[in-house]
Amino acid sequence: MDHMQRTRQKPRYHAQRQTLGIIFIIPIVLFLLIFIVYPVLYNIILSFTDAKLLSRQFSWVGFKNYQKIFTNMRFPTYVKNTIVWTVASVAGQLLLGLSIALMINRKGSGTGLRSFLLIPYVVPAVAIALVTKWIMNGDYGIISWWFQNLGMMAHRQSPLAIPGSAMATLVIVNVWRSYPFPMLIYWAALKSIDKELYEAASVDGAGAIQSFFAITLPHLKDTTIVLIVLRIVWTATYFDLPWLITGGGPAGSTTHLPIMIYQASFGTFQTGYASGLSVLLGLSLFLCVVFYVRKTIASDTHK
Amino acid sequence: MSHRIRKIIRKNFWYFLFVLLIVVVIGFPLFWMASSSCKPAVELFKMPPQLIPEQPTLLWYTQAFSDSIVVRYFLNSFIVSATTMLTNVLIATLGAYSLARFSYRGRRFIMAAVLSAYCIPPIMLMIPLYRIIAGIGLNSSYAGVVLGHLTLTLPFCVWILIPFFRKVPKEMEEAAVIDGASAFNVFWCIVLPVCVPGVLSAGIMVFILSWNEYLLSSVLVMSDTMKTLTVGLANYISSTEIDWGTIMALGTATTVPIVIMFSAIQKYFVEGLTAGAVKG
Repeated sequence: MDHMQRTRQKPRYHAQRQTLGIIFIIPIVLFLLIFIVYPVLYNIILSFTDAKLLSRQFSWVGFKNYQKIFTNMRFPTYVKNTIVWTVASVAGQLLLGLSIALMINRKGSGTGLRSFLLIPYVVPAVAIALVTKWIMNGDYGIISWWFQNLGMMAHRQSPLAIPGSAMATLVIVNVWRSYPFPMLIYWAALKSIDKELYEAASVDGAGAIQSFFAITLPHLKDTTIVLIVLRIVWTATYFDLPWLITGGGPAGSTTHLPIMIYQASFGTFQTGYASGLSVLLGLSLFLCVVFYVRKTIASDTHK
Repeated sequence: MSHRIRKIIRKNFWYFLFVLLIVVVIGFPLFWMASSSCKPAVELFKMPPQLIPEQPTLLWYTQAFSDSIVVRYFLNSFIVSATTMLTNVLIATLGAYSLARFSYRGRRFIMAAVLSAYCIPPIMLMIPLYRIIAGIGLNSSYAGVVLGHLTLTLPFCVWILIPFFRKVPKEMEEAAVIDGASAFNVFWCIVLPVCVPGVLSAGIMVFILSWNEYLLSSVLVMSDTMKTLTVGLANYISSTEIDWGTIMALGTATTVPIVIMFSAIQKYFVEGLTAGAVKG
């Protein structure tokens, strides 16, 4: 409050400061309006038209695109793929992230280890996709070779050529790529737990496992909820890795909604139909975004 | 006593085993990419595969970089990422300072809007952005790709910068005001210098995001000479004759600079992310 009083003594400064704050935020607001808000609205409009990729003209078709989506025989399968991909990836990355956070939170664990474990966060998805295709190559891939030698796969067969294992591979690679974010967030949350709680627990005779369930897990509840919500949004809409590794195959077994949207708009040029799909995907994630934003902004004002 | 020591050793044994396992699993794909990129063809296609190249060679690298289009991809990616970074640093720094340190009507709403924008993924913006950017004649241009990348990086950059500005002590600003500094000078001469590490690390993080981006870059560019590295690399894999040595060399060459840059800033990145992303 001291700040307020002193600046009030300088009314000219105060007015100047107000103006500066507004001027500084204007570029962001303009950018958001033109390149985020307008595109989102434009997308919704396009979903009610017969727009094609390469033509600018389009006419209204009402709910025809949505009708086409819901009568598409493969749509339920692709929705199921999206759910499998999302649930497995999010569960995997949170579990791995938490395990590693617990690991690096121990005394004596250096920052070198933490830095190393953050690397997958910045490795280009394209590079990971290329390596995955190389180590899973049916003829020369090291992982395929291991599986073939263990008798789990036929000679010259790749895990990427079998529907179930193709999806499993995608999930594993995605967990590899995306655990660092939950790891960091969990690590920060672990550091904020009062050490005295653990001391008190051990005085009371609680073992490491008991205090993990009694102190650590309850403390991580909020963090976990927010992480799940945020990661669901990003995973369900993540295109690069599945597209670059399997392209949705074999036989559509790894096609999820983002790949379906891409193929509809840039494969068969049905922009209106693809917009409808992306509106549906957006709507199904809308509540997650609202929850995440409200929760984060609310916790922000308590500071 | 000896029982206790044994117990500690046993406990640490499992701990070290776990650390080792994690490090091997996390490091393996990257190690394998680098190792494969240095193997001559004979070793590359030898079964069973060798972990470490017996006769390491840089042949794949020289071969890859003698292709002028590959050099062009690197240049394109560098131009796009650097421009995206500079634009972000300029706009997001001002915006983050405004959101962190000022009070005006609508501030909280704008913060919520920035955070919501941060949640909107490229697949949802792809179709309208393609039409908008083609509509203003910027398809297959650096400006078009940069605009696309800004939609992904700007909200992130603003959000990650807010905590850095919050950390600047208010007393520093007040002291300058009493000395008669204008509001702009307070920002420019007092606040900004303190926040240079934060701004720099956010900028480099944006560079990395832009360098790695695939979807929008592939959609917004048609002409081969304007393609960015990720798109160019992805095309190698869809060609019928897959040249694994070159691909591994290019994959390594794409990844190494990014990992080095990230290592340099990761301390600040960790600070910004853990302060800004999720609060439990």
